[in-house]
Amino acid sequence: MSATSPKGGAHNRERFSGKLAVNNVLLKTDYADVRIIGIPRALLFYRYRTFWTTFFENLGRRVVYSRETDQAILEAGTARSIDECCLASKAYLGHVESLLTTCDAVFVPCYASWNVRCGFCTKFQSLPDLVRNTFAQERYVKDGRLHAGIRILTCEVTDISDKKTVISAYTELAQRLGATPAQTKRAIKEALKAQEAEDAARANAQEEALRLITQLKRQARKSSKEGKPATEPPLTILFAAHPYIAHDHFLGGSVIDALERLDCQIIFADETRHERTFKESFEFSDTIPWVVNRELIGSIMLLQDHIDGIVLVSAFPCGPDSMTDDAIMRCIQGTPILNLLIDAQSGTAGIETRVESFIDILRFQRKGGYIHADA
Amino acid sequence: MPMPKIHEVGDRVRSSVALHTEKKREPRLRPRQHLKKKLRHKPTKVAIFRYSYYAPAFKYFIEQVLDCEYLRLPDPTDRNIELGSLYSSDYVCTPFKHILGDFIEALELGADIIVQTGGPCRLGYYGELQESILRDLGYEFTMLNFSHGIEKGYVGWAKEVLKVVNPDLNIPHAVRQLIATGGMMSKLDEAHDFYLANRGFEVEKGSFDRAWTALSDAFDACKTDRDITEAFRIAMERFHEIALDKPENPLRIGVVGEFFTAIDENSNLHLERKLTDMGIEIHRMINFTNRYTHYNEPNLRRGASKYLLYDMGPTSTMTVAAALSYAQQGFDGVVHAKSAGCTPEIDCVPVLQQVSADYGMPILYLTYDAQTSDTGLDTRLEAFYDMIAMKKEKHL
Repeated sequence: MSATSPKGGAHNRERFSGKLAVNNVLLKTDYADVRIIGIPRALLFYRYRTFWTTFFENLGRRVVYSRETDQAILEAGTARSIDECCLASKAYLGHVESLLTTCDAVFVPCYASWNVRCGFCTKFQSLPDLVRNTFAQERYVKDGRLHAGIRILTCEVTDISDKKTVISAYTELAQRLGATPAQTKRAIKEALKAQEAEDAARANAQEEALRLITQLKRQARKSSKEGKPATEPPLTILFAAHPYIAHDHFLGGSVIDALERLDCQIIFADETRHERTFKESFEFSDTIPWVVNRELIGSIMLLQDHIDGIVLVSAFPCGPDSMTDDAIMRCIQGTPILNLLIDAQSGTAGIETRVESFIDILRFQRKGGYIHADA
Repeated sequence: MPMPKIHEVGDRVRSSVALHTEKKREPRLRPRQHLKKKLRHKPTKVAIFRYSYYAPAFKYFIEQVLDCEYLRLPDPTDRNIELGSLYSSDYVCTPFKHILGDFIEALELGADIIVQTGGPCRLGYYGELQESILRDLGYEFTMLNFSHGIEKGYVGWAKEVLKVVNPDLNIPHAVRQLIATGGMMSKLDEAHDFYLANRGFEVEKGSFDRAWTALSDAFDACKTDRDITEAFRIAMERFHEIALDKPENPLRIGVVGEFFTAIDENSNLHLERKLTDMGIEIHRMINFTNRYTHYNEPNLRRGASKYLLYDMGPTSTMTVAAALSYAQQGFDGVVHAKSAGCTPEIDCVPVLQQVSADYGMPILYLTYDAQTSDTGLDTRLEAFYDMIAMKKEKHL
């Protein structure tokens, strides 16, 4: 109480240093020697790539990604996994394995679901322990001593809808990397800004694409009314899949290729503005626990009037998708939906046949279907 | 030592107790007729899915807390899982199919309201999807889904109950009875733990099962908290009176796994009965009491901090911590039971493998789907039994 101006400074300093000391006991700087950080190109990488990269680079670290998924990575991951795991998580373990020789530590964060309406599949929660225990037979050297397992860098984000918990999780991580509070604050701020900018850029690009298509459709309708020959606008397909399927050239690539070969305009459901899609999804269901599925469903609902068909793709056996795909097939009416499951089979002929027949149906429908078949 | 009967003690101390309670009695602020019980419950038939031995507690919950009529489902048959699998997506987790099958049977028997619990992982979305599937099948019903209102906890659930089931529910009475329901579940768990540990060694075959049926019936008839305590006391006395022929150092197995499959005997094909029939002492940490009433996840995790950094999923910490504690206590083996496609428990497997390797304790991994055959399970359990029995013999 009496700590006024002359003693105040010392008192405050003491309090401050005391707090730091407490923090230093709690938060070791055990990651301080990590210079090169490896990030597996799988799962949440496709959602938080920019955030993570900017964050680590602002703290003066070098970031390396694993290479794009290929057959070898998937096979290595499958060999490491329990056979009942989903395809995407098998690929994740393959990516971790491919990083082992190229970096000091692999970044494997834990994204928990404390918010029951805005959580993740429990896979993202268990990844650090899953990776630690799967690679327990490996050895790494730290401070001249051999340690069991592999070196991972981790933090626990308990609720992504609450920005404070995100910031506190990454503050702890930065402190363990040996950053000062000012560096930490700046790194997190920059990282959040960069991720927001990237999300906004993608969303803007998508809106622009949709606007162009609407314009083309309007033109085509106008010229057909006037009897002129019109260029037909491309079929617009909403590609609703987890980002780690949709943007992975190996896992979801075969479907994307097939659609592109048939001259379809692909709109990715995970790129629509996240706040809007998340909010919209409560119109569909108020109990879905997974934020990514919420965003996909919200995107379907927002864009349903602008698209010709929906392609739902999930990796076998995806937990959240096993339920939400069923719900989408039951409750989204009026737009044709193709539901595809990707598994470890490398042949793409089956997928191509299904995509082609789906597009044929859409084309047929656009011409007027059975009623106006000769027109 | 047999406990003295209540009335014997009562005669001796009645006068002092009467005086004591008279002093402690709460003042009667309300007119008496408010406290008068209704003669019968609201005539709405409420059904809940089959879940292991908890049926008496569900009955108590529906009759005493929700104040409705309880619709009892008959013992399960193969039709249950067939119906469930028929109408659900093929790679959804197996409890979903069991519960959907139960609901279809309940609705065929004339249920007005079906109850679905909310919960972590996919369980939070069970209710809504099942409601949608059942509506598509053309059933008319109301679903009490505790996934609604989960953000606000008990207040949210109370509002949900008032809205969906019974608007003129007596809330203070319901709260008291809800606490009693929790007490009944704990007592069921406690009795079942004793049952599991000793059923394999009964001298007269079937005496534990008969005592269990008696306990279940007694709990079914309970109407107040006091009835529950009394029924439990009598049942436990009966359990303790059963003659046992237990060796000094029996084979001990711990059962760990997913919350539904590891506990529910219908979906794990009577795993516990099969194991105890072989003369094994069973311990199972995962049950309602340990997972909900006394659950302290960070504390549990600290015990297994060598293997766990974070909470890996709804029951993962308990699975790993239980397996580790069994290993440290020198159990002969652990059986890990989960349903097909249960992501959190699949992620536990590498951790359990690590525990198993570190302590040299065998773990049997069982995955149950809708097609699991009874004979296949028998074969695997027998092989596991032979292995741990031989291992034990070698080490003695």
